[in-house]
Amino acid sequence: MNKISTRQLLFFLAAIAPVGKIILMPTNLVHYAKNDLLFPAAMNFLLQAGVIFLVLLLAKRNLSLHDLIANKLGSVAAKIILSIFSLFFFFAALLPLVEQKLFVQSVFYDTLPSIVAFSSFFIFSAYMCAKPLSSFGRTWDILAPLSIAAFAGILFLSVKSTDFGALAPAFGTGAKSVFEGFAYNMSWFLDSAILLSFLGKIDYKKGLPWKGLLCYLAGAAGVLFFLAIFYGVFQDTAVNQQFAFTKVARYFSGIETLGRIDYLFIFALALVMAFYAILPLQAGIDFLRQSFGSREKRFFPALLSVIVNAVMLGLTIFLDYQYITLNDAITVKVFWIFPVFCLLLPLLALLLLIRRRRETE
Amino acid sequence: MQNITGNLKQDQEALKKLIPAEDILDFSFTTDKGGEFVILFTDPITDKELLGHLVVIPLQSYDGEMKAEEIGKRLSFPELRMEKSLDKLAEEILAGNPVLLWEGMDQGLIVGTKKVFIRSIAEPPTDVTIKGPREGFIEDVKVNTSLVRRRFKTGALKVEYLKVGKISQTFVAICYLEGTSVKKVVEEVKEKLNKIDIDNVPDSSYLTHFLASRPKSLMKQVGTTEKPDIFCAKIAEGRVGIIVDGSPIALTVPYLIVEDFQSSEDYFVPPYRATFTRIIRLFALLVAIYLPSFYVAAQLFKLQLFPVKLLLTISGSIRDLPFSPSLEMLLVLIVLEILNEASIRMPKYVGMALSVVGALVLGETAVSAGFVSTPAIIIIAFSGIGLYAVPNLIEQTSVVRLVMLLIAGSIGTYGIILATGFILFYLVTTDTFGSPLVAPFSPVVGRDLRDSLVKYNLGALQTRPKTIGSKNKRRLRHE
Repeated sequence: MNKISTRQLLFFLAAIAPVGKIILMPTNLVHYAKNDLLFPAAMNFLLQAGVIFLVLLLAKRNLSLHDLIANKLGSVAAKIILSIFSLFFFFAALLPLVEQKLFVQSVFYDTLPSIVAFSSFFIFSAYMCAKPLSSFGRTWDILAPLSIAAFAGILFLSVKSTDFGALAPAFGTGAKSVFEGFAYNMSWFLDSAILLSFLGKIDYKKGLPWKGLLCYLAGAAGVLFFLAIFYGVFQDTAVNQQFAFTKVARYFSGIETLGRIDYLFIFALALVMAFYAILPLQAGIDFLRQSFGSREKRFFPALLSVIVNAVMLGLTIFLDYQYITLNDAITVKVFWIFPVFCLLLPLLALLLLIRRRRETE
Repeated sequence: MQNITGNLKQDQEALKKLIPAEDILDFSFTTDKGGEFVILFTDPITDKELLGHLVVIPLQSYDGEMKAEEIGKRLSFPELRMEKSLDKLAEEILAGNPVLLWEGMDQGLIVGTKKVFIRSIAEPPTDVTIKGPREGFIEDVKVNTSLVRRRFKTGALKVEYLKVGKISQTFVAICYLEGTSVKKVVEEVKEKLNKIDIDNVPDSSYLTHFLASRPKSLMKQVGTTEKPDIFCAKIAEGRVGIIVDGSPIALTVPYLIVEDFQSSEDYFVPPYRATFTRIIRLFALLVAIYLPSFYVAAQLFKLQLFPVKLLLTISGSIRDLPFSPSLEMLLVLIVLEILNEASIRMPKYVGMALSVVGALVLGETAVSAGFVSTPAIIIIAFSGIGLYAVPNLIEQTSVVRLVMLLIAGSIGTYGIILATGFILFYLVTTDTFGSPLVAPFSPVVGRDLRDSLVKYNLGALQTRPKTIGSKNKRRLRHE
């Protein structure tokens, strides 16, 4: 249990990482790219897949990001860079957490629930974030098949009501809209950065980068298919259909007699999402622990976890009614932060390693 | 440590001083030639008739030399042992084995004529099968190990005895197959059992606390069975078995949660049927845990979860109820638990009457009086039945069900989902004796999945479970 096995990592890339992209991202994509929503999503997925491939190449060295940087630039630089990454993770976690909160309030309650309802997520998160990241691997073993089954179930129930013709004509909205859709949805693509926190905890096996790439692309294909169904079901009204995955299956003919059987799949996906939503926080806490904590002391990550989650709870409550402003600020105004941390920095780290290795040779 | 001196009077006094209990008796007799003997024994647990016939009568007419070998030959009894230490002799007397002393001999002769009142071997009430063996363990460790030995006619079966409990001195038998069981696990079991510092071990369940890696956990971490066929099957897979004197429930380690979804009958019926019943067991368990809580959460927080027609039926039946949905469900659940407890402990015939009172009088009257609704009774009844589909997990699932119900009443469906996440994380991060509790699902062990929720035919189960870690991998060859 000290390491994440190759299979567990592949499960994560194929079945856990995609679930974070089906809550509010579909609506946001439609907002910019309309029926061309698949293109910006595909562009983001492809870029992520490329960087994930490179990060998995780094995993071969069996060193954590802290150790990799410390070996090349010194311990102080490693601490600074990891601390900056931690701040990034806490910042990047904010939007998905508010998104989760809105999703929970909207889907699990008929009326607006008390603050206790979503606060329980932070108790869950505080407990999980205090645990070592490597112990999550086994959770993915269970969650991945659950996620795939639930995702397939929702797609199955909704595919009959889909008009795929609504996606035509391709590129009808113009290159600018597609680019905006690509740029302003980058905040949902944190996977490559999260993967940086897995470095040193992966039980590397031959061919992992290629397998990882293929698994991530398989998960991406699933999300793209879902996006196609989402637009095919709601078409012009899709822009108003938040929490897309909870709505696409409601037109299934059996629902009238059987009730909302799609909720079974939604519950399963909500469980997977809860585990996915804590990952940026977990990664941030882990980087702080690596920078400032002692490996032996379990108290430090537990304390950090409680503090970080308490702050996040406060922020999600405070920002509850400012979602549109928050969304606009994070996805539009400072969208460049995400490519810097999720694409550029991992690439720089790899280049740095390659250059140093050549110098040594 | 004091030893036997050879002075009969002195040794007799020393032993009596060591065990000054009133039921420790001594019987002196002389041979025809004047040789003096004393037998010390514990009155209630010694077979005095056997002792008289096999020891006293033959020795009274003995006219040979007063040497141990000669006397041993005269007795022609298989369970004879010589011992010098007074302490060990005292232990044997307390265990029911009389000690024979005679003048001039610096050792005592232990005679194995222990008499224990035991019930006969019967089908265990907790694990009834239609097809397959019906023997069950009883409370005697010797009988239980004999049931194991009968199934394994090989020298590889090792049975090692330990004594646990300062006062009870309970015999604990560790059973394993040399070359098949994992050596590290055998050593760990021995180490943990040897370390136990306890006065009394009335049942094997006392030992589970000391064997578990997380002793305070609600979750089960040691396998239990009352059936020798299941016990042997687990040992044959590479596990280590523990039989405790005085307990009909044997323990096995490492324990995997999937074991409790398997029944011995699964191996005697076609694999398709076995797979179906295992899935039904899992479904029943999930229904037992989640149905009451989801019903409450749906009523309180998300009525949309009910189909419209069902919602109308439910709303009709809960209209004038004085309690909130969660309190109503909690009350019905508590009544079920009370009925359950009472019916198990009451005499059989009163128990039957109690079931009628519980089901008809309480249920019917409570509904017609408007205290509880019919759907609540149906749901709790369904949940109660579901719980018994996996009888070995009842203690755990009934608590989890209650917790889920409380969470559902306060937080709703999302609370249930998060609580499930907690349990899931806890389960997947728990190991017992080096084997993950939730294997072969997490971590996924492909080959072991063939005998998990899905049951392949026997020909496909050629290797022992990888999760257990036995070095002797192959268990059958099949073309």
